[in-house]
Amino acid sequence: MSTKLQLKRAWGPTVEAPVLVMKEGFSPRYDLDRWTGVISRIGHTAEGQSIVGKILIIPTVKGGVAAGWAFYDLLHKGIAPLGLVFGKLNPVMVQGAILANIPIADGLDQESMLMLHSGQNVRFDPSNKTITIVNFL
Amino acid sequence: MRLTDLEQSMLDGKQGEAVREALAFQLEVGRFFGAERFVPITNAHLMGDIEVMGNAGLGLLRRLSDHHGHCAVSTSTNARCMHFGEIDELRQDIVEIEKEKEIVRHIKDMGAVATDTCINYQTVYQPKLGEHVAWGDTGTVIYANSVLGARTNYEGGMSSFAASLTARTPAYGFHLDANRRGTLHVNVKAQLGDTADWGALGKIIGHPNQDYFSVPVFHGIDEMPLSDHLKHLGASLASYGSMAMYHMVGVTPEAMTSAQAFSGRNPDHTIEVTNADIASVYSAYNYLEAQANIVVFSGPQLSIFEMQNIAKLFEGRHVATGMHVFVTTNHAVWSDAKRLGYVETLEKSGVKILQGVCFYILQRLTQIREENGWTNLISNSAKLVNTITAHRFNTILRKTHQCVDIACTGELT
Repeated sequence: MSTKLQLKRAWGPTVEAPVLVMKEGFSPRYDLDRWTGVISRIGHTAEGQSIVGKILIIPTVKGGVAAGWAFYDLLHKGIAPLGLVFGKLNPVMVQGAILANIPIADGLDQESMLMLHSGQNVRFDPSNKTITIVNFL
Repeated sequence: MRLTDLEQSMLDGKQGEAVREALAFQLEVGRFFGAERFVPITNAHLMGDIEVMGNAGLGLLRRLSDHHGHCAVSTSTNARCMHFGEIDELRQDIVEIEKEKEIVRHIKDMGAVATDTCINYQTVYQPKLGEHVAWGDTGTVIYANSVLGARTNYEGGMSSFAASLTARTPAYGFHLDANRRGTLHVNVKAQLGDTADWGALGKIIGHPNQDYFSVPVFHGIDEMPLSDHLKHLGASLASYGSMAMYHMVGVTPEAMTSAQAFSGRNPDHTIEVTNADIASVYSAYNYLEAQANIVVFSGPQLSIFEMQNIAKLFEGRHVATGMHVFVTTNHAVWSDAKRLGYVETLEKSGVKILQGVCFYILQRLTQIREENGWTNLISNSAKLVNTITAHRFNTILRKTHQCVDIACTGELT
């Protein structure tokens, strides 16, 4: 059984990986230890979790232009996420993802977000603007 | 996207490899947002320091430099992550300092003016109503759109460099009239005085309404706010809410009336902000037991008026044992503050002044915190107490005069 979730705008290559589901906005500068790839902000809903090799599911966005460079830096440090899927995003996330060739999308609605749980494998296909849940937990 | 002949020649590499790479990148970003064309810009503001660029970003900059990339519009630079002077508490990596210097060299070679400031709108360049620019710092963007009526999106990382090289940016977001209309009605019934109050207002509105395309419209501001007030409000809205524009009826240029601010759009909802709401922002912060704490005036860098004010508040007092105090500003303000005696007053009180940096982006900050045993970070900047948290400080927002009292008494109130 597989379930397809619809996205609004998307860019980049198709990837398949486990998701890390966040319940709040995410900024590489505010929330992440950019030397280990672990969420380090005290009290963040994903505190202590690694973003490395994951498709991040992020409901909203925070400030900060750091992502413009940070994803490219994480990629070369070998600790980048494999994909970025937002409810809402800002241009910096798109600029940073394109520079690092990390697929990115927005427009995942709240209902779809509730169907995703950290650790599930999904296929994120930007050309068709879909996320397919490959295995349910 | 529709390209002009000039843009097509850029994409074909006829203006050099750096320009080709820049335009190709901008095209991808523009397509994501459904931009139909590029818009010419007059000014760019570059964000890039070794702490966030890393070796990969430095490598990219070297490549642009090798390809003779050159700024095609007047271009300034944002705050850096390195304080190049000697400060005991701030031990930064020598190797990284050299890389930061190399970044500055490349940027200067490209023709940018290395202003190292996040308050370019107060000290460097003030674009006019309707002027399109490409600025790479959120606080600068929201000030440009809201207070000056200029037009820019957040242009992070490569994006601000690309815009500087091509003298244009994709026309989406806040370059377009449709996205500049108010979406959210804010009725301010609170009395706002200190810059920290304005930051607190930004947190109240920004945090629960995180959306780049949300444009709050503030009503009820009966006293004309100062540039520093609007700077802290904007920096906070951008930080907590990822917002890039607000209107203030009777204050900002595209909101002479409420009708103009909304331009026919119905607000999503109305939020009322009272004195009690502002007070509850301050009371939500809790101190932790600690031997060493830090008070920081930064984020954004201080204007000359803010320097004058804190110099007056610190005059004749001294930083208490166990407390450490830092101020950041840009080179231009520092030079004036030096000439006017503010630097001397502050340094005599034990305050450390950092030039051309912003505190929360300092390279090696987590280790610096650990080495100094700093636990609580007290600031009058609502933005700073939000942005610095990845480095695991326990942050506290307080009014400016309270920050000075805490610094000089060591009493965590």
